[in-house]
Amino acid sequence: MGNSTDDLKDPSPGDNELIYTYNRELFYHFDKEKGFTQEVHYQNPDNQVIIKQSWDAAEQRLDEVKQLVIIGKLSPIAYYMEKILMEVPMLAAYMEISKWRVKRHLKRKVFNKLKPEILAKYAAIFEIKVEALKNPDFLK
Amino acid sequence: MVKLEFEHRQAGHCESGVTRNLLNYHNFSISEPMAFGIGAGLFFSYLPFLKMQHAPTTSFRVWPGEVFDRATRELGVKTAIHKFRNPKDSMDKLNEVLEKGFPVGLQVGTYHLPFFPPEYRMHYNMHNMIAYGHDNGTYFISDTLMENLVEITYEDLIRVRFAKGAFAPQGRMYYPTFVPKNIDIKPAIIKGIRKTAYNMTGIPFPLIGAKGIRYLSGRMRKWEKKLGPEKASYYLGQVLRMEEEVGTAGAGFRFIYGAFLDEASTVLNQPWLKDISVEMGENANKWREFSYLGSRNCKKRGKPDQSYDFLADMLLDVADREEKIFRQLAKIK
Repeated sequence: MGNSTDDLKDPSPGDNELIYTYNRELFYHFDKEKGFTQEVHYQNPDNQVIIKQSWDAAEQRLDEVKQLVIIGKLSPIAYYMEKILMEVPMLAAYMEISKWRVKRHLKRKVFNKLKPEILAKYAAIFEIKVEALKNPDFLK
Repeated sequence: MVKLEFEHRQAGHCESGVTRNLLNYHNFSISEPMAFGIGAGLFFSYLPFLKMQHAPTTSFRVWPGEVFDRATRELGVKTAIHKFRNPKDSMDKLNEVLEKGFPVGLQVGTYHLPFFPPEYRMHYNMHNMIAYGHDNGTYFISDTLMENLVEITYEDLIRVRFAKGAFAPQGRMYYPTFVPKNIDIKPAIIKGIRKTAYNMTGIPFPLIGAKGIRYLSGRMRKWEKKLGPEKASYYLGQVLRMEEEVGTAGAGFRFIYGAFLDEASTVLNQPWLKDISVEMGENANKWREFSYLGSRNCKKRGKPDQSYDFLADMLLDVADREEKIFRQLAKIK
């Protein structure tokens, strides 16, 4: 796939490249002559851009949180929560504790005093070892 | 060990696809658009106070589960629907029903679905798929999003059936238990159309239906100033994701609905519905154009290609179109 075919409407490179080709889906189309039709295809490049944006934004958020963990403002829980794309309400539901408690655990000071059972439960949700939760690689 | 003779067919939308495939299994032939239309699946709501993935929630469809519930109820199909507290109970029940010879619809979260396309693996708890057998801890799955039949282990299945957070599935499983022989689908179609017409034009609340589209349009004009270009494009991206990506078959279900009206016009022998289906198809193409132009803003992030005012005007246009369409449809007899 080259970018040699000039798209007059938008000459920006990579315009027609597919990023995700894992699975083809069913789409409907409408055309005045042909009426409603169906087609099995990959998501079109425009839509794939939107999917990619979503992942890029998640990555960026993770990076921001990581910096805050490094300067000691947030706890590693905040980092791992972001890593598995969760937010406080969902993590609280998995932890079976209230949202404000999870919010407190995101503070480094509170985190340092957490009981091992609670840390173990977090680690299980994040699918990591308790050691890694206490001391993430990027802090070493 | 049980493996039912199940025909896997892909669909544009998971829940109406599941509904169709389950009914087809019981020898009742119905298309996906028909299941979607009778189930009154089309909707619009914009809920700025409810954040999903760090952006306001936009929805183009009704509550999860409603398409199946409504479609089967209107068609006189008897169903069983279960929810569970205990994962083991839910799996025992699933085995029991499969062994009785019924394929089962399951509501699941997508984050831990091992066969799901990686780009879609976010915490989305409203996905539907069908289990049609199991063998020694492996479950046979037909997922209408996927090209092929897939499998999942006992442990993973528990995990996705008991995903937590907003719209948690709580092990929800559902299946038709009895499908009558001669179903008259005409009254069901009319009721489905009326319900959707009401949802889109009749609810006196500004965030829902055609009014909701206008509300979103108004908000969109302010995004860039209020949130900055980066976040504005992210918000826009989330609207477009709900419209195009999470199993809508394109244009936020508007294509499926148009196909439904087209089919309904033939079944009911009401030619005027055909004209409306064309209007719906054109409306869907407008939505697609909106997402096409919008996606460029997402690509360029900081520098919008189209002004948000322009996109907001496009939304006003589709809102007018939909209002007109559903005001006419409300009069169906």
